[in-house]
Amino acid sequence: MSKARVLIVEDEPNIVESLSFILGRAGFDIETAVDGAEALQRLRRQVYSALILDLMLPGINGFDVLRSVRSDGELKDMPVIVLTAKGQAADRQAAEAIGATAFITKPFSNAEIVQRVSELTGG
Amino acid sequence: MDRNLTGRKIRTHRRAASLTQGQLASRVGISPSYLNLIEANKRPIAGGLLDRIAVALGISRTELDDTSEWRIVDALNELIADPEIAGSSEHSRTVADFVGRNPEWADLVLKLYRAFIDRNQAVLALADRLSRDPFLGESVHRILTNVTAIRSASEILEKNDDLSDAQRRRFLSIVAADSERLSTAARSLAEFFDNADMRVRSGTAMEHVDTFIFESNNHFAELEQLGEGFLRRNARSGASHHALIEMMVADHEKAAPSPAAGVPGATPETARSRRFRILKAMSATLAGDKVSRLVHASPSLASEAARTLATSALHAYAAAAVLMPYEPFLAAAERWRYDLDALSSQFDVSYEQAAHRLATLRRPGAEGVHFAFMRSDPSGYVTKRLSLPRLPLPRYSNACPLWVIYSAFQNAGATARAFGALPSGDRFLFFARAVEKGPQAVTFPRHLLSIMLACPAPEAGRVVYADGIDQSNPQTTVPVGTTCRLCPRENCGHRQEAALVI
Repeated sequence: MSKARVLIVEDEPNIVESLSFILGRAGFDIETAVDGAEALQRLRRQVYSALILDLMLPGINGFDVLRSVRSDGELKDMPVIVLTAKGQAADRQAAEAIGATAFITKPFSNAEIVQRVSELTGG
Repeated sequence: MDRNLTGRKIRTHRRAASLTQGQLASRVGISPSYLNLIEANKRPIAGGLLDRIAVALGISRTELDDTSEWRIVDALNELIADPEIAGSSEHSRTVADFVGRNPEWADLVLKLYRAFIDRNQAVLALADRLSRDPFLGESVHRILTNVTAIRSASEILEKNDDLSDAQRRRFLSIVAADSERLSTAARSLAEFFDNADMRVRSGTAMEHVDTFIFESNNHFAELEQLGEGFLRRNARSGASHHALIEMMVADHEKAAPSPAAGVPGATPETARSRRFRILKAMSATLAGDKVSRLVHASPSLASEAARTLATSALHAYAAAAVLMPYEPFLAAAERWRYDLDALSSQFDVSYEQAAHRLATLRRPGAEGVHFAFMRSDPSGYVTKRLSLPRLPLPRYSNACPLWVIYSAFQNAGATARAFGALPSGDRFLFFARAVEKGPQAVTFPRHLLSIMLACPAPEAGRVVYADGIDQSNPQTTVPVGTTCRLCPRENCGHRQEAALVI
């Protein structure tokens, strides 16, 4: 069985590196994007099993990426895990309204990330 | 509602002097039954009889005057109507009696209410600041990001024994780098709290200044002397008052230039604004001691914030007294029948300066028409306010939407005017004009302020703004209130919120 492919959209390189490492070890095929524009480009070219999406991104932000995904016929059912920070209740509500599948609050544990991604990709 | 507290005060003072109604009545030459009616507020009292009663009681007439108590009654009525206090109609019914019997306690309740409003505003302002401050939001986000990176990398280091040396070094370097960033972010957050000006301006300092000005009857004889002194000196020199003011202002500017805060692309400050601003600054030197004495002698100005505001207001008063000396200004006002355009032209002052000056013509024995003064921005925020005893201007909520102070914004530069009748039955002539304030520029929103004056209807015949309005026709008088919360006119189509106490 081929590995589930996950796209991480996050502009903090150190977080991206750790997430890539732990999800890679957990058996996922990881690709990364550092901003919304790059994420949308990759989503058009490649099929992913899940998307890990930070909301605060330079340029096209996480909300816009989520909106594009949900309005795209082919992508609309893709699981999207949104990374939020504690205290951003309003952001969380807004992302939920647009169609986020799950939320993980920073600072998260590695085990929590692996577990949520596995659940949502059927892994 | 009964608007006479004098009877209660006579009774209180008579009892304090251990006099019976019969004894006091005989001393002032009236029957005991008539005095009884006066004390029960069933007969109005004023003039010579009030003077005789004051003499018989061994007190000054002002101690029987009920003006300051009515100000407290009006303020307490607003307290009762405040949704957070939610007083009952019983409170409203008995408020005058309460103030009449216990003026000191009533004053204390009011002070408590003002302190409550101040603290409430401070809490709201600080909460708002903490939740919306962009620096704080960014800092918290930064810290959470660093903590996330550190936590994730350290968990990798802890739980993966098989990392290569290169991987171990890489994740250690992430922990080190993000720890350093975290330290920087935490330090700048600590500095923010150390340096941030988290003081909250007192919302009620302005009110204390209102009280101070009201208690002084908006007339400061010491500062009027400043204007009249200039006038006398200028008259001796043979030059015109205005020419000499101009010279004095120019000399001051040469010695101590004080440029106005300029706005790029905007019109320069008008000559009238400049002159007033410089005279106000000069007042700090010329009348600084007088102003300081007045401010520190007033028990109403208990806070530093209130004293600062009052000092500024008195320097503005002094500047107005120099530009518009009392006697010539009163004479011109009577001659022009309080026409503000004529007065501002004759004294070369702005509409607002002339309007505010009219509300200060309160010299005992040489009073002008009695005016209340109010200034509002288009959102209804009141920035200046001077009440009349029977026309309380609201302190804690917006004024009646039917007042011309608001309709004046519909046609800026034109005068809106109307007779209005309060629920108490008192009638007033209201007139207002929206004027442009500060520098203007095509690309800026116009800064409009509405300036309103109101005088009791019996004095309106002396005022040009009543001309052409048929006062004998009741339809020319608009039924108004002071503020919706306190207004009993249930069927008013302009009501913004329900009356809380009727």
